[in-house]
Amino acid sequence: MTSETLAHTSFFKAKSGIMSWLFTLDHKRIGIMYLYGIVAFFLVGATLGLLMRYELLNPGKDFIEPHTYNQIFTLHGVIMIFLFIIPSIPAVFGNFFLPLLLGTDDVAFPKLNLISFWLYVLGAFFALATLVFGDGPADTGWTFYAPYSVKTGTNVSMSVLAAFILGFSSILTGLNFIVTIHRLRTPGMGFNQMPLFVWSLYATSWIQLLATPVIGITLLMIIAERAFGIGLFDPSIGGDPILYQHMFWIYSHPAVYIMALPAMGIVSEILPTFSQRTIFGYKAIAYSSMAIAFIGYFVWGHHMFTSGMSGPAAYIFSILTFLVAIPTSIKVFNWVSTLYKGSIVIEVPLLFMLAFIFNFLIGGLTGLALGALAADVHLHDTYFVVGHFHYVMFGGTGFAFFGALHYWFPKIWGRMYNKTRAYIAFTILFIGFNMLYFPMLILGIQGMPRRYYDYLPEFTSLNQISTVGSWITVTGLVMMIVNLMVSANNGKRASNNPWNGITLEWQTKSPPPLHNFDEMPKIPERGPYDYPDAKRG
Amino acid sequence: MTIRMQKEVKEMEDWSVGVMVKKQNTEHQTLNIKNMNHAFTLPNSGHNFDAKASKMGMWLFLYTELLLFGGLFLVYMVYRSMYPDEFLLASFNLDVWMGTLNTVILLTSSMTIAMSITALQKGNKKLSIQLMWITIAAALGFLIIKYFEWGAKFEHGLFPGMDHFGTLPTGERLYFYLYFFMTGLHGLHVIIGAIFIVFVIFGVKKGTVTPERYSLLENSGLYWHLVDLIWIYLFPLFYLIH
Amino acid sequence: MENKNEHITSYKEHFSTYAALILLTFMTVFISVFGADLRTLSVATAMLIATTKATAVAYYFMHMKYEPKIYKVMLATVIILFAFFMMMITIDYLTR
Repeated sequence: MTSETLAHTSFFKAKSGIMSWLFTLDHKRIGIMYLYGIVAFFLVGATLGLLMRYELLNPGKDFIEPHTYNQIFTLHGVIMIFLFIIPSIPAVFGNFFLPLLLGTDDVAFPKLNLISFWLYVLGAFFALATLVFGDGPADTGWTFYAPYSVKTGTNVSMSVLAAFILGFSSILTGLNFIVTIHRLRTPGMGFNQMPLFVWSLYATSWIQLLATPVIGITLLMIIAERAFGIGLFDPSIGGDPILYQHMFWIYSHPAVYIMALPAMGIVSEILPTFSQRTIFGYKAIAYSSMAIAFIGYFVWGHHMFTSGMSGPAAYIFSILTFLVAIPTSIKVFNWVSTLYKGSIVIEVPLLFMLAFIFNFLIGGLTGLALGALAADVHLHDTYFVVGHFHYVMFGGTGFAFFGALHYWFPKIWGRMYNKTRAYIAFTILFIGFNMLYFPMLILGIQGMPRRYYDYLPEFTSLNQISTVGSWITVTGLVMMIVNLMVSANNGKRASNNPWNGITLEWQTKSPPPLHNFDEMPKIPERGPYDYPDAKRG
Repeated sequence: MTIRMQKEVKEMEDWSVGVMVKKQNTEHQTLNIKNMNHAFTLPNSGHNFDAKASKMGMWLFLYTELLLFGGLFLVYMVYRSMYPDEFLLASFNLDVWMGTLNTVILLTSSMTIAMSITALQKGNKKLSIQLMWITIAAALGFLIIKYFEWGAKFEHGLFPGMDHFGTLPTGERLYFYLYFFMTGLHGLHVIIGAIFIVFVIFGVKKGTVTPERYSLLENSGLYWHLVDLIWIYLFPLFYLIH
Repeated sequence: MENKNEHITSYKEHFSTYAALILLTFMTVFISVFGADLRTLSVATAMLIATTKATAVAYYFMHMKYEPKIYKVMLATVIILFAFFMMMITIDYLTR
């Protein structure tokens, strides 16, 4: 094979054999391996969700014991949060596209990147191993509140160890991305010429780096308490369970911005392409990402309003919570303004972004309701909260993830997915999703508590609507995933730039060659979304 | 792809330390093996050695360590403010002079590792290695003293689960939980830091850490200073409560 | 990009930093062992001296003095963050 031919070999074909994947240093291959893991664990988590919804079809016991139900919702949370949502967009699309968007050929520390992946696999192993050992998975809720988490006989230590290892994976990915963004941008690309997805990854990486160690140490303390009796949160010897909650939420609130920011970055990438005009308010969106990351560190107490925390502290946290909504709404205004008078092309990636805006609006506004102290007293630990966070995490980040999957599908696999099936799957998913979660908002206001496997008879009809919604949702999901999997192998060959995008990844081949670029990528003159006849601004 | 190209591409992707060394050495020629298979290299390639990136990466990792221990300091702050008198009482079980000695040992080791960087920058490999060995000796000294301190606590039954421990008032128990957890975690970092420096010594001897390319030594120094920094706070908080 | 033309801290500078650190250490020990009954001030004094020592280690031993501004900004951000955590938790416990 001549050197010419090798330059056209995609990264998929550059080397073969499973070892060349498991020990690869190529960011694209690492991104693909993460993708398989993440989709697989998402389906496991979704199955647990289906089981819960089936139990909730009728009041009273349907087919699960109460104790088992507690284990199911705990494992559902642990898998969905630590194995799916938090890694999803950064680990898959960040890994695959960050170097491409910056015009470079890999991340700053490729070996560290591989270590991050293996830590993810190790953490996943421990999380799922809890199903097999001892008294089964933890039954504490994914929040592992002390003192119950210290006393229960279920596999809390193993779950918590899994979360610790996954946290380490997250930290190293964040570290890698920060250095990559600082050091490897293509010549001529300053911070204010970077694509907005890169800005969102930058902000997210700082959260991953600085917030995760706090939960790391907190989880270590739980393990120490269970293993050595080092009772730091045990009230019977003077420990304070509320201190556990402080330490836990100091990470876990910023964690939701790890989930949200990359998703918002995806929206900022896809909207310009399908409006064929530049983004409205580039700097506002870029800096609002940093603002959300920053302010997001200061609001954790809103998860603890009813815990016994002091009044003055609660007031401060409530005010700060309202503050963090401002940069978020700035983004929404800018996105809508981007669409206005654009040359709109209704493709499935755009549909997912429109659904994101719709879902995130509902999720975000219900979040504000929860941030108000007086309302939260009634809504805390009800289904209102469950509806709220599923709207933002699933309807928001989840939909953005699926949208990105469709958007970058032709670039990754060099083929186009079947568009008709994609439209249908999206529609089914969107309808099912809203049917599944909107009733929860009403149920919560009516007073149905969360994490209960039973409920009062007056809540039955809304629960049944929700359960049917879960079946429709899963149908849409399966249709979408099968469509993508089949199209990856058999889809029509796609051009290098089927959507007429302007960011750098569209300048190289689909799939990209191992070293990303065959010639120097050209930066657009007036900014990363510089469409030829775009009106300024 | 020819057999030779296949082999070289495989070696580039190979994991072992031996190949890492080979890669570092061939990079001096601004041509890495991948480039032999295509005509174009990016100026901002992620496969080039970048000392600034390396240093930034290390500092970022140090921030995570700061926040890891920071969490423990937050817990300490809460419980000491709740039980000030018991914390004071419990602290009398510690020997101030042992603690002071350990502080001096760590400060000295910080100086020696910093000086070893100076030595290497000036081309004096032998002195650099000697200073690194002194740093490691200091680490060992620290750990030995720690061993005796902890031993003394065990003898007095002061570990969770032991007899005397159960009779202690709440505040004193919390003090000891934090004492063992924090000094234990710190000791673990002393061990890791020392092992890191041992690797650097081998690097200098082998010629992979040089006066032109000493990021590994610098980073091991940064990590070591962090270990010192944490102790600078641990010492007064546990030994000097009065 | 290799380590070339970087600032070299002299042995003398390192030793001076070390001497200052030892001095501060003995200061904090003597205040504690022989000092008057400072009560709550004792924590403040000890922390003040510890922070001075820490600053010396970071600024001189860790070379922060000669690093580009971005490093100082990053470190400052981390410290501010941690300070905020301390502040909010203190407010909670103080006003319960």
